[in-house]
Amino acid sequence: MWEQVDAILRRAMIRTAENVANFLPGIVGLMLILLVAVVVAVVSRRLVLRALLGMHFDQRAERWSLGAPGDWQAAGGLSALIARVVMWAILVMGLLAGFSALDATLPEAFARTIFRYIPNLLAALAILVLGTMLSRFLARSVLIGAVSLNWPYAHLWSTGVRWLVLIVSWVMALEHLEIGRRTLPLAFGILFGGVVFAAALAVGLGFKDAVSRSIERKWRDDREKADKLSHV
Amino acid sequence: MADVVVGLTTSDHAGDAGQLAKAVRAAFDRQPESIRWHLLVANLVPDATAVDSVRAELGTSAEVSAVNVGHPAHHSLVMPYHGLPGRARAVHAIFAEARARQAAACLVLDARSATGSPETIARLLEPLRTRAVQFVAPAYPRHPFNGALVHAIVYPLFRALYGARLRWPIGTDYSASADFMDAVLPHPIWDSERGQLGIDLWLCTTAVCGGFRVGEALVERREFFERHELSLSTALAQIVGWLFEDMGTRAAVWQRIRGSTDVVRVGEALRLPPAPKIDPAELVESFRRGHRELQEVWAEVLPPLATLQWRRLASAPFETFRVEDALWARTLYDFAMGHRLRVIARDHLLRSLVPLYLAWLASFVRETRHAPTEEGERRIEQLCLVFETEKPYLISQWRWPERFKPVKFRR
Repeated sequence: MWEQVDAILRRAMIRTAENVANFLPGIVGLMLILLVAVVVAVVSRRLVLRALLGMHFDQRAERWSLGAPGDWQAAGGLSALIARVVMWAILVMGLLAGFSALDATLPEAFARTIFRYIPNLLAALAILVLGTMLSRFLARSVLIGAVSLNWPYAHLWSTGVRWLVLIVSWVMALEHLEIGRRTLPLAFGILFGGVVFAAALAVGLGFKDAVSRSIERKWRDDREKADKLSHV
Repeated sequence: MADVVVGLTTSDHAGDAGQLAKAVRAAFDRQPESIRWHLLVANLVPDATAVDSVRAELGTSAEVSAVNVGHPAHHSLVMPYHGLPGRARAVHAIFAEARARQAAACLVLDARSATGSPETIARLLEPLRTRAVQFVAPAYPRHPFNGALVHAIVYPLFRALYGARLRWPIGTDYSASADFMDAVLPHPIWDSERGQLGIDLWLCTTAVCGGFRVGEALVERREFFERHELSLSTALAQIVGWLFEDMGTRAAVWQRIRGSTDVVRVGEALRLPPAPKIDPAELVESFRRGHRELQEVWAEVLPPLATLQWRRLASAPFETFRVEDALWARTLYDFAMGHRLRVIARDHLLRSLVPLYLAWLASFVRETRHAPTEEGERRIEQLCLVFETEKPYLISQWRWPERFKPVKFRR
């Protein structure tokens, strides 16, 4: 009997050793991939940071309406933030590649899902960046235009345009990330529709006197052309 | 063959073209010697009535031809400040016709603004006839309050940069000699979008910078108002934008010029039209509103001292409201630098200049309203001298851009 127990124990130990021996290369592979990923991530971070600082990216970003240097101070500056994002992206990809090396089914499926999600993530980022730039550009255009036309509350108009474009960009970005696919567009539609309805009521009821006075003034100006100042 | 080709640029002012053609004939009839002349009507819109009305006035006594340079595909989306889309193509057609007929001189008249005065037309021809000059620009006798953009910005800047005291470099009535036309015709500007906007200013600048002998003729001008007149901010953005862009291409020329010289002038002082209605208090209010809203934009181009001076002006009472000439000159030079370095979108930068210009205008009107003609001329002359004095400030920043340090200094 003791010989049978001994044989069973030996078989169990051999099976365990075999399992470990089968698993070890995967672990070693994972460790190697992670090590390489860490090295590449650190080097990439330094290179990206040096390149961005070299081309004065923070100053250019401010010119492109991506925010003043002070806005990104908490993150150590926009260039540092981008370099850090690049580093973590490489690390995450290294981790996912390492999981694939383990030949484990669940992590591999997870890795595939993550890789399929990356284009949506990039598209959402691009929409946010472009939306931010566009919102600031349009806000400044409206501000300067309103001042030139002697409109009151120029800053209010400008802020309104800016927030409108930003909200649209955020909703589009979140839709790309497949977050709140039904809720967000509905909420946005209700909000936007409400704003437009309120504006239409305000213009229709509140401004009709101002509009008629403006038309009357234009008609009077056309008749008094001879006395009109010409700047050119 | 003709000795002189007269070109009329016209869009939808066919009636004026007929009257102008009649004045052209009278002007040539008064010349001491017989001159063969040909009249070309350059239509900027496909409009047959302009040449018909010209032929009806002149009959068979003169050679008349027409060319259509207007085409819907050529029409820019942006209406130029002079109101004639495709104007460069029209002037090119006139110059080309003049050279094809081996004319010794060419006269370009704008059917909207040129009056039917034979004396005026003769003045544009006289210096060319005696070969005293090769390009004659107009000088319009306008009330100092009218054309303030030219008095405040175009004339002082043009004079300081290029050293020629040409009062109206953006005039649309001028004359040119054969060698000047031969020099400018091959240039690619005629077909460019930019050219359609500022061809008149380009011709004047080229004449001055190209070493041609330049003169000026006092030319009567009819005040006209387009149905769809451009807003002040659009006109200012186009004119000043053109000036600033041209500065960039001719930097090697204007940096060597110091001071300015008089040009050959033809014609005596003409009676000024009556003053337009203008309320300086309203202009000051517009400036104050602009100052409240646009400080952040101005901080991109103005240094701390100028920002402080404008802030003091914004809170100054109307009775003591005065824009110093040095402040105005340096502000324009700072905007020119900001335009060159593209600190913000160029269109935003140029349009944000409007409240500052209105402040200058308010100050000018307030100071000269009791004797606008004499006092206005004196003030404009004083302003031009300050522009010339402050030119080294512009040159030093242009050559060493690191010296350009606005409030929002980033470098």
